[in-house]
Amino acid sequence: MLFNNKKVDKLLTMYLPITFMLCFTIFPLYWTVNTAFKPEGDIIKRPLQYLPAHPTIDNFVNAWTNIGFATFFKNSAIVGVTAVIVVLVCSTLSGYALARYQFKGKRAFMLMLLCTQFIPRAMMIIPLFIIFKNLGLISSPLSLIITYSAVEIPFTTILMSGFIANVPKELEEAAMIDGCNKLQSLRHVVFPLLLPGIVATGVFTFIYTWNEFLIALMLTNKQDKFTLPVGLSSMMGEFNVNYGALAAGSVIALIPAILLFAYAQKHLVNGMGGAVKG
Amino acid sequence: MYKKKLTTTALALTVASSMFLTACGGSSTEEKASTEKKPAAKTDEPVTLTFWDENAGPARTPVWEEVIKRFEAKYPNITVEYVGIPNASAKSKYDAAIAAEDTPDVGSMQTTWLPEFSIRGALKPLDSYYKKSEVSKKLNEGAINVNKEITQDKKLYGIPYAQNLDALWIRSDWFEQAGVKEPKTWDDFFTDIEKLRDPAQNRYGFTIRGGAGASFTIQRAMFAYSGLDYFDKNGKTNINDPKHVEFVEKYFSYYDKWTPKSDITNGYKEMTAAFDTGVVAMVHHNPGSYGEHSKALPAGTYKMIPLPTTDKGQYVAEGGNAVNLGMFKSTKHPDEAWKFIEFVNSADAQSYWNEQTGQIPTNKDVLDDDWVQNAQHIKVAFEVYNNPKTKIYMPPFYLPDYRSILDTIVDPGVQSVMSGKMTAKEFLDQWAKAIEDSKAKYDKTFSKK
Repeated sequence: MLFNNKKVDKLLTMYLPITFMLCFTIFPLYWTVNTAFKPEGDIIKRPLQYLPAHPTIDNFVNAWTNIGFATFFKNSAIVGVTAVIVVLVCSTLSGYALARYQFKGKRAFMLMLLCTQFIPRAMMIIPLFIIFKNLGLISSPLSLIITYSAVEIPFTTILMSGFIANVPKELEEAAMIDGCNKLQSLRHVVFPLLLPGIVATGVFTFIYTWNEFLIALMLTNKQDKFTLPVGLSSMMGEFNVNYGALAAGSVIALIPAILLFAYAQKHLVNGMGGAVKG
Repeated sequence: MYKKKLTTTALALTVASSMFLTACGGSSTEEKASTEKKPAAKTDEPVTLTFWDENAGPARTPVWEEVIKRFEAKYPNITVEYVGIPNASAKSKYDAAIAAEDTPDVGSMQTTWLPEFSIRGALKPLDSYYKKSEVSKKLNEGAINVNKEITQDKKLYGIPYAQNLDALWIRSDWFEQAGVKEPKTWDDFFTDIEKLRDPAQNRYGFTIRGGAGASFTIQRAMFAYSGLDYFDKNGKTNINDPKHVEFVEKYFSYYDKWTPKSDITNGYKEMTAAFDTGVVAMVHHNPGSYGEHSKALPAGTYKMIPLPTTDKGQYVAEGGNAVNLGMFKSTKHPDEAWKFIEFVNSADAQSYWNEQTGQIPTNKDVLDDDWVQNAQHIKVAFEVYNNPKTKIYMPPFYLPDYRSILDTIVDPGVQSVMSGKMTAKEFLDQWAKAIEDSKAKYDKTFSKK
């Protein structure tokens, strides 16, 4: 009887689990924002304040101006945006080759691309450090852009080849019959249909570069070249944590990711659908 | 429509990428120039030193920046470039830098790292500089000797600028309210834990460190209990001595009964948060957490007391519990680098640095400073170090894998004992075996007899 009632049914099977999931995922975010707006004295005060009793933006001002988050943010943006461009260009072209052409060793090549993902990042640190030191690129954003692109391209190539395989070949052939050459058919027919895939790949790459800590820490020896995750970690000393600035810095770091997801959400869902159709 | 959009996007991407790449290109050239080997500077020529702080954070970074400012004012031709490394990743960062031979001029480092870094040939011996310097008359000789003893060639590779001492932070107001005496012996300590448990107020007597860094805490606690040396006369480690087994069994039996369930994942931050938010009455740490306690608790409600004594009434402290400045071999400016090390160890700089960070100075001239006399926790630390009966035991820092044994065998071992997957005896036997294997390897390599 109870489950015959559609509203109750919907409540139990949809709204309740969604609300539960939402609380679960939103709570850390809420607590970070809550902490970011509290003065230092109120942060660890008992009883806990679920809303800031004396709201302040001092933590943001301190993080942005005194601690150097403006610089960290700029560095992360340079590295993130450039890596996304490099990854998108390379993976779209190589993904196209994998999706459309048959060549000797194609399966082995795909396997090799997959195998690169099994190498633990920590194992690459010292060789990378030596290579970039010899190239004179330690503490340069280029070292991070190159590394992140190299790490991401194999995976995103496979991802893009899945998207491209879903675009009917006949469309390209029709465009070519209408007078397009290969590149024109790619540009005018394939790319517009690939937009969800490109957005999905771009977002994943950006989030990876935006959050990556270990490589950024190891390849950067200058304070003014630190990226956001490295800057955030310097808020935590062995015996002292600046919770206010840490929370404010985390909120600052979250903003681009949230905006990006909000903007790309539609494409992202479409894109993931495209990738799994196969 | 799509065509226009795509063309605009492509143009925007091209412009943006060329801008970014130009920006990066510029900085890479600049970097290359700065990393090229420069000839050693002559006196008064502008020199830039790179200094790595192994424990950067909100408490230490501003203090270092101030010390550097003072140093640069004294030596206008020397600029010090500060690089703050988060504590948790500092060792890996040094390891990568040493492997790639791209080390800073001067680095702050823990005593446990000195033997390994010196064996790897990364550090410059400082004996000759130290002998000629005025600071050699002022610094704590014990700490200097420890640094010499632990290295394979018995040379001085690090100058200790701050010491530490494990102790108990207690809520003195709770002790008073409950009519409980501060623990002097380990028996008092265990009894007090039970007396201070108050389920109605969700209060516990103590919090055990079960997460990151648990190895240091348990090692220092068990040696403070036993008063034994790290090795016996035959070179066998005392880690799994019956006294230690007895202590570890009792200590961890309090977990989840008299101490919080969450202790099994306790790192420093969780442990101090439990103390600072009024959940536990005692926490085993050192003077370094004073800053956190003073921010969270009203003055007079907490204090630092020494770790309980052995059954013979002896205080026990671990030797080499210090942070040091070392000079890397790759430096092109050793004289200027030494000037920086010497300056940091001067009475003024050490006094400022240690007062701000709540550590114990190694320069004897600082002892008379007002802040030392007025800081309860620093005075306690000095009393322990100055007590003639205090026993100093020396862990084998010289073993290259000493630290990794603590991190990979002892830390997880503590959790296994706490979760009941391993007995105290099994845990200590495993730890002792790892130390003995490592020592045998070390002795064989360096043909020690």
